[in-house]
Amino acid sequence: MPLVATSAVVLQTYRYSESSKVVRLATRDLGVQSAIAKGVLRPRSRFGAALEFLSEGEAQLYFHDSRELHTLAAFDVTNLRRGLALDMARFAGAAALAQVMLKMAPPAPLPAAFDTLTAGLELLASASPEGVEAAAVRALWVLVTELGFGPSLASCVRDGAAIAPSDGAPVAFSAADGGVFCRRCAPAQPPTQLPAEDYRDLLALNDPAAALPALDAPHAAAHRRLVARFVRHHLDAESLSALDSWEGHAWAILSPSPAAS
Amino acid sequence: MSAIDDLVTELAKLPGIGRKTAQRLTFHLLKQPPEEAGRLADAIRQVRERVTVCGVCGNLTDEEPCAICADPRRDGALLCVVEEAADVGAIERTGRFRGRYHVLGGRLSPLDGVGPEALRLERLLERVGNGSGVREVIVATNPSMEGEVTATYLQQVLRPTGVRVTRIARGLPVGGDLEYADDVTIAQALEARREMSEAD
Ligand SMILES: [Zn+2]
Ligand SMILES: [Zn+2]
Repeated sequence: MPLVATSAVVLQTYRYSESSKVVRLATRDLGVQSAIAKGVLRPRSRFGAALEFLSEGEAQLYFHDSRELHTLAAFDVTNLRRGLALDMARFAGAAALAQVMLKMAPPAPLPAAFDTLTAGLELLASASPEGVEAAAVRALWVLVTELGFGPSLASCVRDGAAIAPSDGAPVAFSAADGGVFCRRCAPAQPPTQLPAEDYRDLLALNDPAAALPALDAPHAAAHRRLVARFVRHHLDAESLSALDSWEGHAWAILSPSPAAS
Repeated sequence: MSAIDDLVTELAKLPGIGRKTAQRLTFHLLKQPPEEAGRLADAIRQVRERVTVCGVCGNLTDEEPCAICADPRRDGALLCVVEEAADVGAIERTGRFRGRYHVLGGRLSPLDGVGPEALRLERLLERVGNGSGVREVIVATNPSMEGEVTATYLQQVLRPTGVRVTRIARGLPVGGDLEYADDVTIAQALEARREMSEAD
């Protein structure tokens, strides 16, 4: 039963017994893993306040090859990400990102996906207030791509023809087919018709090196819908609580600012 | 399955009770006079039959409204918002809070499918609304990530009412030892430091 140390982010925790919790971790060296944190609910637990949703640190795990539940020996927190809880949009985006990692990442080493997850959480924490929506959409697309599910955006999903958006015509997109169609292959009624400008925004959102596009509220909603539909399709899931809540701005329902007045 | 096994199995489902303890409790009950075990059985039945959620504050109670909501000596201008009914008990044990409570029935947790609609928020807004006399809402959700985001949400939802919204402090436990406190707690205690005054 080797003791292994790896960077990790807490994706989910749930109560296991009176004093213990099970922690689902995105680890850099072991992929997504579950571990039991014994005694974490006792008042003077050695885990302290470290095992909080989205906190990042160095985890020490007793790794059981034959089992799915490992034992967490220690977690030295390096980044608590408390700031994310001070803003509903940032938190909802981070929760959606955590859910994608939980559902799409295998329990195998994926350092690049881990680094993409933490970069996405950093982006959400540091984005300007106007840029939070675009930051979350980008973080999701980039993570999905790093996990091997990325959409084909530069070339046609059918025949690989390069997409030339310069003529200003809309581009057909299908989550089920995994990306965009050239004009020749586009079905008569594609699930989504992206106006040229939205297609350019989609390209920029998928390119970590590009500047974040400025999205107004309706465009941000459309891009949220697009990436959420894409993820749900690839997971064959009708609903994903955190992703749906982020997509639909669930926290805005009771907020009287846009609705009531 | 024997009657003994039945009871052991049921008791072992309770938090903190393993199979061995369940067995010990079962044999203990068998040694008591029958009325003794009967009283326990009655109390369990009664608690399930009589205890409901207070229609005003969401606390657990066997009268409507609960004793705290019905008590005219409680300060109606102060409303303390907590996640669970058990948290009311924790604050009441201190004997230091004379206001009233509002139990949310949980905290926001998107990955567990708990969104705003699952919390008793509309009732909270009614209670804080115009003419209610509530001057301050104390947000006493847990200092966890989910408790914090719930506090953020409450602040956002309550802002239009103009009521004062405060958050309970975080920091070192009383009787604690700096040397053994974790980094996060120490950092938060430093952040939440305050002026020292004679009154303390
Ligand atoms: Zn084509
Ligand atoms: Zn009550």
